[in-house]
Amino acid sequence: MLIVDKDLCVGCEVCVDNCAFGAITVIDGLAVVGDACTLCGACVDSCEVEALHIEGGEKSVQADLDSWSGVWVYCEFRAGLLAPVSLELLGIGRKLADARGVKLSAVLIGSDTGESAAKLIAHGADIVYRADNAALKYFTDETYGAVLTKLIQEHKPEVVLAGATAIGRSFIPGVANTLGAGLTADCTQLDIRADDGALLQTRPAFGGNIMATIVCPHSRPQMSTVRPNVMKALDTDASRSGELIDVDLEPAMLQAKVQVLESVISEHDDVNIQESDILVGGGRGLESEKGFDLIRELAKSLNGSVAASRAAVDSKWIGYPHQVGQTGKTVAPKLYIACGISGAIQHVAGMQSAETIVAINRDAEAPIFNVADFGIVGDLFEVLPKLISTIEGRQK
Amino acid sequence: MKIIVCIKQVPDAKDVRLDPETNTLAREGVQSIMNPYDQHALEEAVRLKEQLGGEVTVLSMGPPQAEEVLRQAISCGADRGVLISDRAFAGADTWATSYTLAKAVNKIGDFDLILCGKQAIDGDTAQVGPGLAIQLEIPFITCIQKVREADEKHLVMERMMDDGYDVVSVQYPVLLTVVKDLNEPRVPSLKGKMKSKKAKIEMLTAADVGADAACIGLAGSPTQVVDVFPPPPRGERAILTGNIDEQVEQLVAKLATYL
Ligand SMILES: Cc1cc2nc3c(=O)[nH]c(=O)nc-3n(C[C@H](O)[C@H](O)[C@H](O)COP(=O)(O)OP(=O)(O)OC[C@H]3O[C@@H](n4cnc5c(N)ncnc54)[C@H](O)[C@@H]3O)c2cc1C
Ligand SMILES: Nc1ncnc2c1ncn2[C@@H]1O[C@H](COP(=O)(O)O)[C@@H](O)[C@H]1O
Repeated sequence: MLIVDKDLCVGCEVCVDNCAFGAITVIDGLAVVGDACTLCGACVDSCEVEALHIEGGEKSVQADLDSWSGVWVYCEFRAGLLAPVSLELLGIGRKLADARGVKLSAVLIGSDTGESAAKLIAHGADIVYRADNAALKYFTDETYGAVLTKLIQEHKPEVVLAGATAIGRSFIPGVANTLGAGLTADCTQLDIRADDGALLQTRPAFGGNIMATIVCPHSRPQMSTVRPNVMKALDTDASRSGELIDVDLEPAMLQAKVQVLESVISEHDDVNIQESDILVGGGRGLESEKGFDLIRELAKSLNGSVAASRAAVDSKWIGYPHQVGQTGKTVAPKLYIACGISGAIQHVAGMQSAETIVAINRDAEAPIFNVADFGIVGDLFEVLPKLISTIEGRQK
Repeated sequence: MKIIVCIKQVPDAKDVRLDPETNTLAREGVQSIMNPYDQHALEEAVRLKEQLGGEVTVLSMGPPQAEEVLRQAISCGADRGVLISDRAFAGADTWATSYTLAKAVNKIGDFDLILCGKQAIDGDTAQVGPGLAIQLEIPFITCIQKVREADEKHLVMERMMDDGYDVVSVQYPVLLTVVKDLNEPRVPSLKGKMKSKKAKIEMLTAADVGADAACIGLAGSPTQVVDVFPPPPRGERAILTGNIDEQVEQLVAKLATYL
């Protein structure tokens, strides 16, 4: 609860200006806190007369923080492949582990994982916990969750990271809840706080309109899912050495009430747009399913993948897995080229953290130009063929 | 079939933006709406009820005005609305929210199926659904994009994955989170609107559900927000000039590092 000290408050309204949520009003010279308060504490820091404080923040059962040590990364493996985000997480995990002076461990769960463990070591892991079993061929929240939960309970790492992928954002919340651990979703930045070694987890909120930094002061492990394509993987170093530990799997951990009957990998298009460095997005301006051929062609010339606005998905020109935005996927490619997309806030929410944004739209007033680094005002049916041939010309 | 749908009232994204002058969220005229994913969860619940019979209860945790989204849900086919509301819930993170919703579900009584949206568009965490299932000790499946078969005992569905989809089968009880592809939510009927006006929304407090004070609100939340700030500004913006050929040339030159 945010408490206002009536004797100290001078009604200066500095807190009102500092509240991102509009939760404070000054009535009769006194700050009054409304329901919109999220207890973020921004006002507490801003108050010059120290009239504000937050009460009730102590969790009654505190974990014995010092008994938790080490940085862990859940390394996703599916259909014979390591997810690229796994290696990115080992990159940031290595940094965090070094800052804390602890070991970096990777958890590998799946079936027929082959040389993957060695690859994880070459990318920075000191230890790999491998749970390789035919029963783990398909992902289920119950089996993967049981394996990871047991490992965490046994070894007590202080930090656990996972990719903010379909799999990571499915079972990690279950694991965190079982452990009573704090979990921050879809982080884009991770640091260690100098004073106490706590993990500072930064993520966008409200569709990327604000950034929030989150800590777990009283509980362990500190868990985060991390957006793909944001962290950097280390270069492979085959000379690195590490320890490989095969996990003892109890039969109960391999049983699930949810049965996976079949796993269908999309062959038509690359639907895993969150892992792509380059995305070409098409919107209503494409006018038809056929219009998307132009988008595919441009994507191909750039070695990228195809994204879409909701208007294009709703028109059935392309499948929902390609939708970017608030009710689709959040992407952070190096390059996003928006073609015939107006730039509605719900779309922009899903792509504004791209490194470079290009917009092609015939309406100079379209809001997409507010977020674009480079814009061409023009008819996409004229611009795109020229763009494709110029790019292809360069590559020759 | 007894189905519970968890619905959150969220600010409409098009109204939520940062004022560049003051760096605070613009607060004028921010409308509240039903979380878009939850509309699809509700629609599926109503369809299953129409097919298999039973009752749909909608549940929300939030301030008193969240009653509005529960009435909206009743106008779209839900039978019963329950709002759990208490000042003590302020500052709840996803752990504390899951705990509180689980307490409310136990108070509501028996259920076969719980449906949630994949995520709420204000926080985008996608954690409350799985957390609630763990609290209730039932299995969960996230990101359901299609129900292939449904009967009194079990469901066969498609779960959206990054590289395609998985076909999954499960018996009740289970908790599902859903994505937008699942269905097309209906608009309320006139009869539904009448019903929602008259409906009585059941109100619960922390004490009513026997929630432990150490597990709710800020005290029950392992995560705490320590800072909020505007996203870093994007670099220079340029609208290219000249005729289309010249613009394309300039653009390709600018993009050289990506080619
Ligand atoms: C709750 C909610 C959630 C939503 N979630 C999402 C989401 O996740 N993702 C999303 O994308 N949207 C989402 N939307 C929809 C969003 O508000 C917009 O309606 C949508 O993004 C518009 O898509 P568009 O830009 O393709 O179409 P339009 O807004 O119709 O824009 C088409 C653009 O193409 C341009 N154009 C047309 N023809 C040409 C041409 N020949 N050459 C060049 N330019 C041309 C036009 O000038 C126009 O700017 C959501 C909406 C709501 C209410
Ligand atoms: N306060 C709440 N009341 C009811 N349902 C909620 C609440 N918060 C989250 N949910 C449900 O959990 C889903 C995921 O929310 P979140 O984890 O916050 O992204 C939502 O789509 C809702 O179905």
